[in-house]
Amino acid sequence: MTQLPFLSAVAVFLLALVAVAIYFVARARRASRTTWMELLGRLKQIDRDKVAVIALDLLEEQEAEPALDPEMIFEMIGGMDGLGAMEQNCDVLIDMAAYVQQWYPEALEISEELRLNAREIKWHIGRLRGASERGHLFEQFPMYAQRAVATYYLMTRSLLILYEGGHIPGFTDLQRAL
Amino acid sequence: MHLTGLDLFLWALALIEHIVLLAVLWYRRAAPRFPLFTALITVSVLRTVVLYFTLRHGSSEQYFYTFWSFGFVDLAMQLGVVYELSSRVFRPLGAWAPDVRRSFAVLAAVSVVIAAVLTWLASPPTRTLRLAIVIRGNFFSSALMSELFVAMVALSVTMGLPWRTHVARLAQGFGVYSIFCVLTEGAHSYFGSTRGKQMYTLVSHIRIELYCLCVAYWIWALARPEPEPRQLPEQLRLELRTLQRRVAALLQGFRGMGSVR
Repeated sequence: MTQLPFLSAVAVFLLALVAVAIYFVARARRASRTTWMELLGRLKQIDRDKVAVIALDLLEEQEAEPALDPEMIFEMIGGMDGLGAMEQNCDVLIDMAAYVQQWYPEALEISEELRLNAREIKWHIGRLRGASERGHLFEQFPMYAQRAVATYYLMTRSLLILYEGGHIPGFTDLQRAL
Repeated sequence: MHLTGLDLFLWALALIEHIVLLAVLWYRRAAPRFPLFTALITVSVLRTVVLYFTLRHGSSEQYFYTFWSFGFVDLAMQLGVVYELSSRVFRPLGAWAPDVRRSFAVLAAVSVVIAAVLTWLASPPTRTLRLAIVIRGNFFSSALMSELFVAMVALSVTMGLPWRTHVARLAQGFGVYSIFCVLTEGAHSYFGSTRGKQMYTLVSHIRIELYCLCVAYWIWALARPEPEPRQLPEQLRLELRTLQRRVAALLQGFRGMGSVR
């Protein structure tokens, strides 16, 4: 009887360990079997022309002040919903870079860089979301939003270059979706 | 200590398997990629030989200290192998990503605490304190190793980091074996040495048989070549590098505004 707590703890521990291992291995298998169409289907609709305009306003005006004002950017990107869609798309972009590893294992480098970029974008969108909940969105928006959009734009460019240059099937679909 | 025919057979089998595994590691040029794993297997060969001669020509005291000295080296090297495999998975660009390093450190610390609590709960019925420490020590190391391997899998899947074939096979072997070890070492802790010598021996045999299966799996996996990676065209690599520099410059601007967690 003195061994009962030990036996119970080991049983719970083993069950939890095996359950966690099975869950993550199944998740990895599911992810590796994701088809190209499933990946495309996960992309949220974002107006790519407007994203390009917002991004290029910052990227091409590095020396001068950007021409677009925060209200205009907020409207063009679709408000916090638009930024939320962009945040979700960051994950899909990483998965799409990982998908290329079937042909080019060294594309791992690109997907890791995209993952680090996405992590920073998400953190800043999180700050905007927090500011929005506290009613200070427009104070924070000019600082973070346009840079987040520009980074997202460059991430999509990286992915398109990777798909086109690597002659990866699905490039035309991707071009249309991004 | 009296050795049965089965004991001798398992001992010889493990030794032969380790030697074959070492040969495969060097023949397939995998040894330089996995220096700590190769060192662990080399030490295992050495340990088997030294323990065999200590058992035949030394005292039980000498055998105990030799066994435990190798036991500590083995645990330290196994932790080293966990680090070696983790760094292959979690450092795709040659450096630990800050989020991965922090998460892995937290998971490792939690694993040590859980293993310590479970070990503290064990009270193996033994005649000597020395044997109780042996059983608890074995249980602690198997609980810790199994947690670390599951944590590695969970973290890599969450972060979306893929596993190269050989790394995945080595980790699978270690992971499955260490989870079974929790079961066998748990049984050791429950039965101890006084409740049933036969049960103690049976559980020990099952653990060694599992280990032999695991080594056979490593031999099979490492004997198969890893798929040769295709190279990205140089022009494409340059374009991507230029673009990534622009992203880095933008993110540098971000960092100027506040620190990223």
